[in-house]
Amino acid sequence: MYLIDTYAHTNRWRRWHTLEKLVLSAGMLLLSLILPPWPGAALVFAAMTLLTTRGAGVPFGFYARLLLPPLGFILASAAALAVSVTVGPRVGWHVSFSPTGAAVAYPLLLRSLGATSSLYLLALTTPVVDLLSTLRRWGLPQFVLDLMLLSYRFLFVLTDTARAMGTAQASRLGYGDLRTARHSLGLLIASLIRRVLVRANRLEQGLAARGYDGNLAVLSPEQALAPANLGRIVTLELLVVTLSLYLKELWTWPR
Amino acid sequence: MHIMEGFLPAEHAAGWTLAAAPFVIRSARAVKRKMEAHPQAKLLLGLAGAFVFLLSALKLPSVTGSSSHPTGIGLGAILFGPEVMTLLGAMVLLFQALLLAHGGLTTLGANAFAMAIVGPWAAWGVYRLSRWSGASLAVSTFLASALGDLATYITTSIELALAFPDPAGGFPGAVLKFTGVFAVTQIPLAVSEGLLTVLVMNQIVMYNRDELQDLAFLSDEA
Repeated sequence: MYLIDTYAHTNRWRRWHTLEKLVLSAGMLLLSLILPPWPGAALVFAAMTLLTTRGAGVPFGFYARLLLPPLGFILASAAALAVSVTVGPRVGWHVSFSPTGAAVAYPLLLRSLGATSSLYLLALTTPVVDLLSTLRRWGLPQFVLDLMLLSYRFLFVLTDTARAMGTAQASRLGYGDLRTARHSLGLLIASLIRRVLVRANRLEQGLAARGYDGNLAVLSPEQALAPANLGRIVTLELLVVTLSLYLKELWTWPR
Repeated sequence: MHIMEGFLPAEHAAGWTLAAAPFVIRSARAVKRKMEAHPQAKLLLGLAGAFVFLLSALKLPSVTGSSSHPTGIGLGAILFGPEVMTLLGAMVLLFQALLLAHGGLTTLGANAFAMAIVGPWAAWGVYRLSRWSGASLAVSTFLASALGDLATYITTSIELALAFPDPAGGFPGAVLKFTGVFAVTQIPLAVSEGLLTVLVMNQIVMYNRDELQDLAFLSDEA
């Protein structure tokens, strides 16, 4: 169901220290926003795609399919950017093709791809639980952390429940046509709320029986920070910066 | 409708994060107060967060035949109250970015502003207003979730228009463009979600009235 989560737990970089992966992806994310999109964000995109698929071992086909929905969003927005709309009392509605707008759309595509690939590296190599324990060390309040841990845990439980209900409904032709489908989905969501409340009650009783005082104590696995890795990451980021500034002088994109 | 990672320029991403932060912090404080007053609130809200996330992962049969996903904003605002929904919404948006590759980290602030702040408050305001004016539960629920969706989508379009004003038409032209492009998917979605939320609320009122009482303290003014 949540394949990204599966890869986050099984990829080759799973045992890396969370901070290393954060420095890599957050650093590259920042670079793709502040460097000139060509060639900066393009370099980030290339580097991150290579690291995710070759380095961490996420299958390329899966990675490519993951890029499709953001591409759809970009194309829809690029369509909006490439036309120009003016509304005035005298001229009324006026829609025309706008070359300046189209020129905005293209660096935007590169920047979004660079940033998206940086996010994907983090999402595909680092389980949410690891990120949360890092956030705790950075001072995220305990109750927010508990909320997120609970949500994360129960999202899988609820998904399984919802899926079982959906299968049961579908096997009784519950999704045969639009009207029935909407009705079935309404039933499903309503019963899910009931399940949520019952589960929360049971969880509370179970915890109370074990001396729950409002805090959920969890262990996070020990990770060793490797300075050599950190050095390599920073070197790569500096390389992208110098390369993009150098290439920008050398090779401007034809307009 | 989520703005994807990297789509907003750095200044806009930072600006919307700063704009959303006070609301999220305010919501977190309210949640903390509720937790202190009601020990079961933490578990309930944790599950509520998972529930809102799951809603966004469900496929919703839409009028145009394409399937889209419900946002759950209207339902969440009615069930849990808008104040709590802001923190839950921000949390869900983070999970969506990390688990579904939907939205992003730099655009989290902008998305939270539209989906976790404007959406829930608009839905809740409409719900209260139409209940107050004597509309039935079904009509109020429909209006709340459909208009909550539309408010979210218009806010997102405004955020996009501020970042990318039209070269000739300026900001108003850009708002028209973005609302126009996304109207194709967003308006049928809002209607579908409105109808769906009515069905859900009917079921809850019919079969789960007692459980609904358990939720009441979440939306109480504390």
